[in-house]
Amino acid sequence: MKKIDFRTDILPLKNELYRLALRITLNTAEAEDVVQETMIKVWNRRESWHEIESIEAFCLTICRNLALDRNRRAELNNASLDEGYDPADHSYSANPEEQASQRDRLQLVRKIMEQLPEKQRTCIQLRDVEGKSYKEIATVLEISEQQVKVNIFRARQAVKQKYLEQEQYGL
Amino acid sequence: MDYRFIEQLIERYFACETSLQEEQILKTFFTQDVEQVPNELRPYIPVFAAMQPAETLGDDFDERILAQIGESQTVKARTISLAERFRPLLRAAAVVAVVLTLGNAMNLSIQSGQPQGDDINYAAYQDTFDDPSMAYDQVEDALQLVSDGFAHAQKADSIAMDSLYSELK
Repeated sequence: MKKIDFRTDILPLKNELYRLALRITLNTAEAEDVVQETMIKVWNRRESWHEIESIEAFCLTICRNLALDRNRRAELNNASLDEGYDPADHSYSANPEEQASQRDRLQLVRKIMEQLPEKQRTCIQLRDVEGKSYKEIATVLEISEQQVKVNIFRARQAVKQKYLEQEQYGL
Repeated sequence: MDYRFIEQLIERYFACETSLQEEQILKTFFTQDVEQVPNELRPYIPVFAAMQPAETLGDDFDERILAQIGESQTVKARTISLAERFRPLLRAAAVVAVVLTLGNAMNLSIQSGQPQGDDINYAAYQDTFDDPSMAYDQVEDALQLVSDGFAHAQKADSIAMDSLYSELK
């Protein structure tokens, strides 16, 4: 089996882990702490790296569990809508008005996603943002592939309904 | 342009029937220039824009982590082949072989200085007769003597055997 190196195999996962932690904790500082804690925890388990099938899934699982722990401890789960982490979106070259309204809509979609139950949020994050297969997500969340699919289905339906509803009846 | 394909993909996306590749097509389609997207599909832009991995951690994070785990310099793993691994051993064996060979050679050269084998020195023999015919007679007499001896011994032997047989009988 391939030898795992902390610098080349684990450290580059930081952004992926950070985004996952951010989806769960909804707080940038907390998410960064979670990633740091995850890295330390993975490092301390270095003796057993060779036994791990997928180091990425292993890191994601630890990261998610740590983030959930924090949520539980701080009871942060009531959707503190932190907008500070939202980067400017440069993907539109239309006029400023159009840009502003697109940004508003993007914010709206993000808010809808943040209000989803944690499992759905994590599933949609891993699938739609990180491009993971159902199987990989099932490993990370320690649930069946079918359950992953159900969660993603519900999340997408919720986004579609809530977003299109708001679009139709005006912002 | 026909956008039925995209519309179909969107429908299947919300029904959770798309593959990862198809989802990538949708993401790429909706992150292109907004002018390229037909009006009826524009409402979906933010949905797929929200899927772009946006948030990242800075490089200072790496340094902090590496400082915490106390691994400041990169340790590169080097794979060593079997031949490479045994090279020092082979080298040692070669040195031993050279020493043994030299030792043997030296030993041989010391021994070659001393006389060896049977100490027959033909050069030290001196002729005892000047006349060859006399020497011939002498040798003939000596051989005759040996021959007589053998004949006598054989006769005595057969008599002894006969008496032994008769005794046994």
